[in-house]
Amino acid sequence: MKKILIADDKATSRELLRTVLERQGYVVMEAADGEEALQKALAELPDLILLDLQMPRRTGYEVLGELRKDPRHAALPIIALTASAMQGDRERALAAGFTGYLAKPVPLAHLREEVQRLLQTKE
Amino acid sequence: MTHQDPNSQGAARHESSLESRYRKLLHAVPDAILEVDQEGRITILNEAAERMFGYTRAEFLGLKVESLVPAAMRSGHVKHRSSYAAHPNTRPMGTGLELQGQRKDGSLFPVEISLSPNWIEGSLHVIASVRDISERKAVENRIRVLREQYTAELTMKNEQLEARNQEVERANRLKTEFLASMSHELRTPLHTIIGFSELMAEQLEGPLTEKQQRFVGHILQDARHLLELINEVLDISKIESGRLELKRESFDFNACVEEVMAGIRHQAATKNIELENRNAFHDSLYADRVRLKEILYNLLNNAVKFTPEKGRVWIEAARQDDALHISVCDTGIGIPEKEQPSIFEKFYQVGDTTGGIREGTGLGLPITKHLVELHGGTISVASQPGKGSSFRMVFPLIQEQAA
Repeated sequence: MKKILIADDKATSRELLRTVLERQGYVVMEAADGEEALQKALAELPDLILLDLQMPRRTGYEVLGELRKDPRHAALPIIALTASAMQGDRERALAAGFTGYLAKPVPLAHLREEVQRLLQTKE
Repeated sequence: MTHQDPNSQGAARHESSLESRYRKLLHAVPDAILEVDQEGRITILNEAAERMFGYTRAEFLGLKVESLVPAAMRSGHVKHRSSYAAHPNTRPMGTGLELQGQRKDGSLFPVEISLSPNWIEGSLHVIASVRDISERKAVENRIRVLREQYTAELTMKNEQLEARNQEVERANRLKTEFLASMSHELRTPLHTIIGFSELMAEQLEGPLTEKQQRFVGHILQDARHLLELINEVLDISKIESGRLELKRESFDFNACVEEVMAGIRHQAATKNIELENRNAFHDSLYADRVRLKEILYNLLNNAVKFTPEKGRVWIEAARQDDALHISVCDTGIGIPEKEQPSIFEKFYQVGDTTGGIREGTGLGLPITKHLVELHGGTISVASQPGKGSSFRMVFPLIQEQAA
């Protein structure tokens, strides 16, 4: 079973994502800030990470930077998740090394497709 | 005064009268006229000279011309006098220098002096015409002071303007930052409101009664509407700050039209509105695909919104020369002629005639117009109340490599 780490400082958002992804049959882990996300990613080696960009302690970009330094996480699918809707956000995220980008509010169908697509690509 | 005095000894009566006329002429001149001999002694003078320097005629005669020059300049003047003797011609004295005269009482005043040689029996006399330029200098000074004041004022005004510009820039930046963070803060709860509503509507966590399904449907619909409004406000602020840029790419235009139509089909179906794609342009288009979809969606959404049950809404598109003509048409309530010029203005909403339909920000059409214009295109409306509206756009066809 594929393991997915959800990193978001909003508990309601984590519950939403967890509910949707568990229904799809994934094992879900949660992190409530950037530092926790980094520690869990390094310890648990998830198959995919949904990483909110604006989190306390470490931003999504910082977590991404740390993870990409580790060869085990160099090719890990990491999806940027953000409620910011500024032009160029997606490009900036992809250029920084994110594998995917989802803008909040994320239509659930879109979330399911994107997660499935990236996990398939990984195999 | 370079005239040779025609007067000589033993003059006739007639000549004497002529001499008196010349004398009058000499005294009538407002400039001081002096004749100086080779040793620098003053030999002839007019009345203006007496008034200007404060010496009487008697005091003048025999006075060395250097007495009329400020003490500091006297030794220099003697030298200049001998150098003039080497090249005697008519010319202004001390070109480029600020010359000064000294009155009997020692006071100084600015002068302009013109020199002319006057040969008398083989001996070089010099005629000096001295003009008191105090008044002119005073005017010049006044002008200079005024100019300096004016320049200083202008500099101050410019600095104020510069400061004001910086303030405006700062305010604009703050506004943009505020909008960005507000948009972020509003989307965060909408993310979970829409997400959980979707989850409930899917009924995977348990069945809902028909009423509950309808309620969840309302929450979802209005939450999505709220999201659209937030997006529009953000868009207009990007447009106003000139930060909205197109990302052009080549794409299948008809597929794009179909996608937009699919997004509006549900809305149209609930009102039994017939939705039709009459596109005749089946090439690829080089434009901002996301923004073009936004344009078409805005117009189609309006068309469906303002068309009564069982009406028709359609898109026509065709190439004409080097342009793509697109029209979004409906058989809706139409727009009164007097309101038509205003509908592209920000926050404008057609008044009583919309039959109570006033939802929206009033930003949809202004944004649409901006997006069309960013593509180099134009948009106009033709409408007849009760019959329908058609929004016509013309997009210049741009080649990918040329852009």
